Amino acid sequence: MQTTMDKVMRASRFLFVAAALAAAPLAAQQQDLPPGVMLETRYSKAGRQTLAVRPFEALGAPETAAASIAGIIRNDLTISDRFQMAFVPQQLATGEIDYTQWNGLNIVWLVAGSVTPAGSGFQISVTLHDVVYGNARQTQTFSLPDLAHSDFRMAVHAVSDQIVRWISNQPGMAATRIAFVRQNEGGTYDLLVVDSDGENMRRISGSASLVYSPSWSQDGTKVVYTVHLEEGGWRLMERDMATGATRTVREATGEEQLLTPSYIPNTPKIAYAQWAGAAMQVFEFDGAQARPITDGRAMSMSPTFSADGQRFAFLSSRTGRQHIYAANADGRNAIVVTPFGESVEYSAPDWQPTGTRLVFHGASRGTFQIMMADAARPGGQIQQLTSTGRNEDPSWAPDGRHIVYTSQPTLSAGTASLYVIDTVTGEIRLLVSGGAGAKLRLAAWSPSLAGTVNTLQAHTENGTSNKSPSKEMR
Amino acid sequence: MMLRRAMILITAGLMLAACSRRQEPEQPQPAEPPPPTQQPTVNQDSIDAARRAAEEAARREAAARAARTTLEEMVFFDYDDSSIRQDQQDVLNRKVALLRANPAVTLRITGHADERGSLEYNLALGRARANSVRDYIAGFGLQATRFTTDSMGEDRPLDPGHTESAYERNRRAEFAITAGGDNLMPPGGDR
Repeated sequence: MQTTMDKVMRASRFLFVAAALAAAPLAAQQQDLPPGVMLETRYSKAGRQTLAVRPFEALGAPETAAASIAGIIRNDLTISDRFQMAFVPQQLATGEIDYTQWNGLNIVWLVAGSVTPAGSGFQISVTLHDVVYGNARQTQTFSLPDLAHSDFRMAVHAVSDQIVRWISNQPGMAATRIAFVRQNEGGTYDLLVVDSDGENMRRISGSASLVYSPSWSQDGTKVVYTVHLEEGGWRLMERDMATGATRTVREATGEEQLLTPSYIPNTPKIAYAQWAGAAMQVFEFDGAQARPITDGRAMSMSPTFSADGQRFAFLSSRTGRQHIYAANADGRNAIVVTPFGESVEYSAPDWQPTGTRLVFHGASRGTFQIMMADAARPGGQIQQLTSTGRNEDPSWAPDGRHIVYTSQPTLSAGTASLYVIDTVTGEIRLLVSGGAGAKLRLAAWSPSLAGTVNTLQAHTENGTSNKSPSKEMR
Repeated sequence: MMLRRAMILITAGLMLAACSRRQEPEQPQPAEPPPPTQQPTVNQDSIDAARRAAEEAARREAAARAARTTLEEMVFFDYDDSSIRQDQQDVLNRKVALLRANPAVTLRITGHADERGSLEYNLALGRARANSVRDYIAGFGLQATRFTTDSMGEDRPLDPGHTESAYERNRRAEFAITAGGDNLMPPGGDR
């Protein structure tokens, strides 16, 4: 029987190695960074507990369905970057679960499940085993639609997020989508959406006009974006993601420009940027009236709100250079978050859905890199998260740790792809490749869409976690 | 006798030319000599007069073309800057003179940015450049309502390259004549 101490020991082994590896190359790069910016040195894969997903049992359901479901869950947990994923030996793939054997493989968590047909779809039972304590921590059944159903993968992703929550008591990001624009060669634009695992990419708006700045509503049912008509004129449009219906939120009068819309959480309002005389300001719009919530010279734009809607960050060039500011929702107490320095511009902020961190891009050595600051500590140290290529327009996942962003090897590459970085471990993965002549830009990560999957009816059968002593955060 | 006839013809020709100038909006002067079959006895003087009229029309056409070129000439900007560069002021000053001579002319000013800045910021920056141009021109006493402004951000580069010289050409404001573009008069003309 292992103890929590064993877990700590396992974790600390990694910690030591990671720290030693990280220290050397970073010291050299540090000197070239803008003042007040440090390259992220706190990346650590330490403390990642080992997790295995055992092949799901097909109880009357096709083996392919069971394999597909377990495969999606295994991949979701892998790209959650929270676990050291373990290989499952053949002799442990079936039969009764013998905790001693799994423990011998240093596995901390074991996910097992079974799949039975139910209506046109399936019912799956998923159990999270705490190998260290030798008990079933959680068991829950979930209803899934059939494999061909458009909600199938999203329903399975919701199961993955439930597993993450059982283990960490934190939100996952599997049951999410990313909206973005594709800038085609020749200057046309499309609005697209893709699942968090890079699957199921589809175009949701055509190239009749220029489309910018998609942003999700708090419940994930709507996306608001900017349209610039070729013949002139700017609009804020809103799309219902379930029905595909679109409506005009605000149509510019005359030559007015409407940019960078963003929903204000816990209100029916949308914030966006618009010219007010010689300066561009952030406005809030309640459907009838718009009023400015920033002031100052030059341009203020790109509002992004905290989850409670009480604070927001924005870009402003009021001092002559582009900086990120944080303010109360009414615009009061605006404070610059980014440090002042020569030839440094900061742009495209996004407020962490689970906290106070801001991600944005800033120029470093002449090209954009993804950076992170804390809105609660203005003037504090900024961390640079990327260092290779040109990286811009970051957006937080609802787990508050992953960020999607646009990356291109160089500005002249002619292609730009979407990547995801984990701010905790530094793991980077390709989400969608731009391909020749296409640039994927302005990505916006949705909140959890688990609640929007109609066919998913989850209910807890029995939860043993309340009796388990292993309630501490792991 | 011959001299008097010639004088009359020349005068008539000039009057015709003057008339046609005033009538131009409806009836651009084709400057065609009359068909010889109808007037077989037409003399050399009337041919000369017609040719002079044609030359005058060609001159006016060239002046109108030059005026259009001047009105449509682009201006360029420094990086991440929407202020009018000193070396670009002449381009705008020439437009001002033409806009005074042609009060019916209205312009659409579209600002552009190079690809180095942020995509969304560039949309605003292009518009700031267009506004800056409009304000400069309107500052000479021209009505601001004669100008509309827009921005294409970094989406319509003049030069698709990724060099500093390409970026210099892409940081610009473009001009399109949206009304009053026919029969443009040269600056300081007879109005």
